[in-house]
Amino acid sequence: MLTFDHLFIALIIGLLIIIILMLYRVIKGPTAFDRLNGLGVIGTDTILLLILFGFLNKRVEMYVDIAIAYGILGFISLVVLAKYIESKGGTNR
Amino acid sequence: MKILALIFMLSGFFFTLVAALGVLRFPDFYTRLHASGKGDTLGIGLSIFGLALYHGFSLISLKLLFIVIFIFLANPIGTHAICRAAYRSGLRPWMRKEE
Amino acid sequence: MNTKVKVEYKTEKMPVFKHFCMIFIVLFCFWSILSGHFDFKHLSIGAVTSLIVAWITLPLLCIPSTTTKGTYFMAFSLPIIKLVRYGIWLLVEVVKANIHVALLVLNPKMPIDPYIVTFNKEMSNPIAHAALANSITLTPGTITVDVVEGEYIVHAITKEHGYSLAPDKGEGDMPVRIAKLFNEQEILAKRWQDVDL
Repeated sequence: MLTFDHLFIALIIGLLIIIILMLYRVIKGPTAFDRLNGLGVIGTDTILLLILFGFLNKRVEMYVDIAIAYGILGFISLVVLAKYIESKGGTNR
Repeated sequence: MKILALIFMLSGFFFTLVAALGVLRFPDFYTRLHASGKGDTLGIGLSIFGLALYHGFSLISLKLLFIVIFIFLANPIGTHAICRAAYRSGLRPWMRKEE
Repeated sequence: MNTKVKVEYKTEKMPVFKHFCMIFIVLFCFWSILSGHFDFKHLSIGAVTSLIVAWITLPLLCIPSTTTKGTYFMAFSLPIIKLVRYGIWLLVEVVKANIHVALLVLNPKMPIDPYIVTFNKEMSNPIAHAALANSITLTPGTITVDVVEGEYIVHAITKEHGYSLAPDKGEGDMPVRIAKLFNEQEILAKRWQDVDL
């Protein structure tokens, strides 16, 4: 009998595969901005990953708050890193 | 309602996967941003909306809807920040060669 | 640059007070959703905190106009019904954009032809510029690269998408919608050109 818990486990495994693919882009990426792009995608996917963990553990009310804080911090750090690399002006590496 | 939630979650995961494949497959930085900026926004948004439908109406689903609105506002801004930084530090876009 | 753009919000009776109330209501709803307790103690602490934060951030959210000096736009006193209608239209466009990206990625030949379009769109409201840039990023085939004083640089994934945003004569669908949404009466000179890099 398939329940929603199986769906959550499958989605978590799929998201982990996506994160590993993005890590390939972060490590390999030709420019610094490719790495930043990969980091941004990882940060957005981690929000969904946290909420799915919460549904799996039956403790959503805690994990949702963590997901909100993680999302806001990830967005701010992405913008700040973009500004910093722009001020350094390095397209190589 | 659960069937609708299932459809939302699976389609959201499909778009997220397409975004990841696009980031791997596209030839240069600006075209990769097309994949990540659009696919991630709708994919994660649809998945979290499906989870809110699955949970039913409560305070937690309101928080989930807040996350959806936040992602729809913040993800294009993040994409634009990276893109502008790349353009201003002199990264040139890939063009198809004219023969 | 010295054209008279009609400002709708100025004719309202107490725009600053309405703006203050909107900030307070939004902050208080946010507090209530995050705290989850609805007894007197938590609600009163939230009300006091929201009042203080609204009072501090009031001058920060009054954004000066880019064309006429001395007029200010309030970030929170937007026309809500129009905004919701625009949001529904934008949602349909986002779904179309994602299907387009999915078709491009799953196509083994990948028929892309990247292209850079610049066009000029004078608007007096900076919030309208932000909304237009965000919408361009979310709609099919285009992302905003840079905006400097109304000069948009847009990266399009095929040439047709670039033309649909800034055609030869007139202007595209989305800038017109944004201008209607924010009551931008006069649409100034607009042009488009190729950029070779």
